Amino acid sequence: MTPLVLPGRLESLEQVAEFVHAAAREAQLTDKVANRLQLAVDEVATNVVMHAYQEKGRDGELYLAADIDAGALRLHVEDTGEAYDPTTRPDPTNLDAPLEEREIGGLGLFLARRSVDELLYSRRGDRNRMTFVVNRPAPA
Amino acid sequence: MKIDIARHPTHAIVTFDGAIDGKTAPEVQAALAPVLGECSVLVLDLTRVGYMSSAGLRVLLLLHRQLTAKKGKAILVGLAENLTETMRITGFLQFFETHATLAEVKL
Repeated sequence: MTPLVLPGRLESLEQVAEFVHAAAREAQLTDKVANRLQLAVDEVATNVVMHAYQEKGRDGELYLAADIDAGALRLHVEDTGEAYDPTTRPDPTNLDAPLEEREIGGLGLFLARRSVDELLYSRRGDRNRMTFVVNRPAPA
Repeated sequence: MKIDIARHPTHAIVTFDGAIDGKTAPEVQAALAPVLGECSVLVLDLTRVGYMSSAGLRVLLLLHRQLTAKKGKAILVGLAENLTETMRITGFLQFFETHATLAEVKL
């Protein structure tokens, strides 16, 4: 897959989704698995745009790349925000509570984590990298 | 995102066409605000919504709170499988009345 660089704005989310589905097609993932990957990547990309860039008054970009091998698709999203590892955040614990008592927020990352086989963080130079790992089905 | 609102004496039917994500959720919220002032039963037709992220859950959470406060409710129609899954694993699904089609909604 050719890597893609997009402006770090909400307007880019549609192209992020297109990139995800192109990678999923190349890795021959089912529609269901592709949709779950779309959710995971969209949640993380949205958090980057809103929290790493907009809230901090920073401009930045979203760097998308994908590696496919026999075992898995690894999709990477990088940003130039402050170093931040979202994978260390605990899952929400009140998922059975009435909606009146819920906190707003925290659900996006929970959904991202639940929607792929692995969600990894690394810091590379001045960039945060989130890697979404989706295992590929064994050939029949 | 395309949003149509049909007002009836006892309720409103709001029909969405497009993805509900971080970009479009504020449009959804803005469109619902005036309707919330007018009626307490909202039917949201999501048949043509193929994607919804946590930004959509946030809108549903606020909607549910405002409607519950005035003894009303939101009814969700035509949830795609992926939307149902998102709502189930976050514990949202149990708090909404859902139907497969508009014809099934009894008001």
